[in-house]
Amino acid sequence: MTELFVLITVIAVALIFDFTNGFHDSANAMAGPVATGALKPRTAVILAALLNLLGACLSTEVAKTISGGFFDDELITVPIILAGLVGAIVWNLTTWLLGLPSSSSHALFGGLIGAVVVGAGIASVNGWVIVSKVLLPAIVAPLVAGIAAAWATRLAYSITRKTPSVHSETGFKYGQAFTASMVALAHGTSDGQKTMGVITLVLIAANLQPTGTGPQLWVIIAAGLAIGLGTYSGGWRIMRTMGKGIVEIETPQGAASGAATSATILASAHLGFGLSTTHVSTGSILGSGVGRGAKVRWSVASRMAFAWLLTLPGAGLVGGLAALLADQGVPGVVALMVLLAIACLVIYVLSRRHKITHANVTDSHEVLVLAAATPTTYPDDPRLEAPKPKKAKKPKAKSAA
Amino acid sequence: MHIDWAALGIVAVVSITTSVIFTILLASGIRLVSAAKIKSNEGGYSPMILSMAYVVLGLAGLLVLFGIYLIIPRFH
Repeated sequence: MTELFVLITVIAVALIFDFTNGFHDSANAMAGPVATGALKPRTAVILAALLNLLGACLSTEVAKTISGGFFDDELITVPIILAGLVGAIVWNLTTWLLGLPSSSSHALFGGLIGAVVVGAGIASVNGWVIVSKVLLPAIVAPLVAGIAAAWATRLAYSITRKTPSVHSETGFKYGQAFTASMVALAHGTSDGQKTMGVITLVLIAANLQPTGTGPQLWVIIAAGLAIGLGTYSGGWRIMRTMGKGIVEIETPQGAASGAATSATILASAHLGFGLSTTHVSTGSILGSGVGRGAKVRWSVASRMAFAWLLTLPGAGLVGGLAALLADQGVPGVVALMVLLAIACLVIYVLSRRHKITHANVTDSHEVLVLAAATPTTYPDDPRLEAPKPKKAKKPKAKSAA
Repeated sequence: MHIDWAALGIVAVVSITTSVIFTILLASGIRLVSAAKIKSNEGGYSPMILSMAYVVLGLAGLLVLFGIYLIIPRFH
């Protein structure tokens, strides 16, 4: 009975993680097209959601392990998986509240590592794997994608310099829609699998499924739907930071950065050096801004870099604390679920204070949590003017009322 | 401790080259289509420019198709 309860809880939490994964990464594909108007916000997320669902259903060959080489596979137990997932969910929601893109896979690894450290001590974690699989890729991904996007952007502008913008806008918007769709599809194939893998491993551990078999049909459909619904819900806070916060994106620049994102993601997935989709897309947008010679908000970029640095320890801390409870049988698991629900609720309520939806996602470049809008002006670039006072003050007045 | 520097280098080179090639094709296609449109607005007809535009955009389209081929695991 206890086992069955824990099993059902883990599956539910895995699907919740999948949902947060979807809305956290929606912006990776769609921030560019939404910012330039190549796709309307609603259209963009519906398209991305369908492609994510399709991608998840196309790629069902799950990894045999979820330890990622960070520690021994034997250390992975059902409570550890539960604690790791809780850590990843809380981290994903916190960064979403702050409007910061961060890698969902790093969050999951962080959560699991934290849980393993609590269960089996710090010595059981292979520190070098953290360097080679987390730290190095987090530096390489934005660099490679950034350089690719910067060159592509320069070329896009210099080739079409004499082309009337009516013509070039339309063309680049089509290009952007195509590359964004590829990113969404690739995301479905890579990240949908993660949750399927977790659920399948848990089912195998509970002897409900023979060892070495692939995910069952309901697992594939549930995981695909969870990530698709997550993507559809938009994660508009992150979408705003990526589409507006880092740099103002013009259409040719958006097309170039989309090309760099999809090329880098596909190259990394097929040539043996895994890079996080989030880091790649952010790097492309940054690089495209540099390539155009636009005013990049380095303060936003450094805040993101800080969040990436904290992803592993942050999710690990929550995962570790969660592991203390997850190990205590049914009462512990129930307590953990109550705490998770409270955490989700608090974050949701906080996010309502400065709500960002599909309707206002491109209105401003700031994602506010508690602070009032700080008007910033860039006198040398009229495109980067501060948001209109009316829009900036509206949420403030609301919270005062 | 093992870091696959070769794979890292290949990923970097391939990513940058492909992005640049795709963008060149797309931007050139856009420029050619626009040139052909301008010409036809002026009453002229330029089959040469138009067919070049289609070739270039077709190549960009092929790159997209290759990308989709790579994404879908059942194809390889």
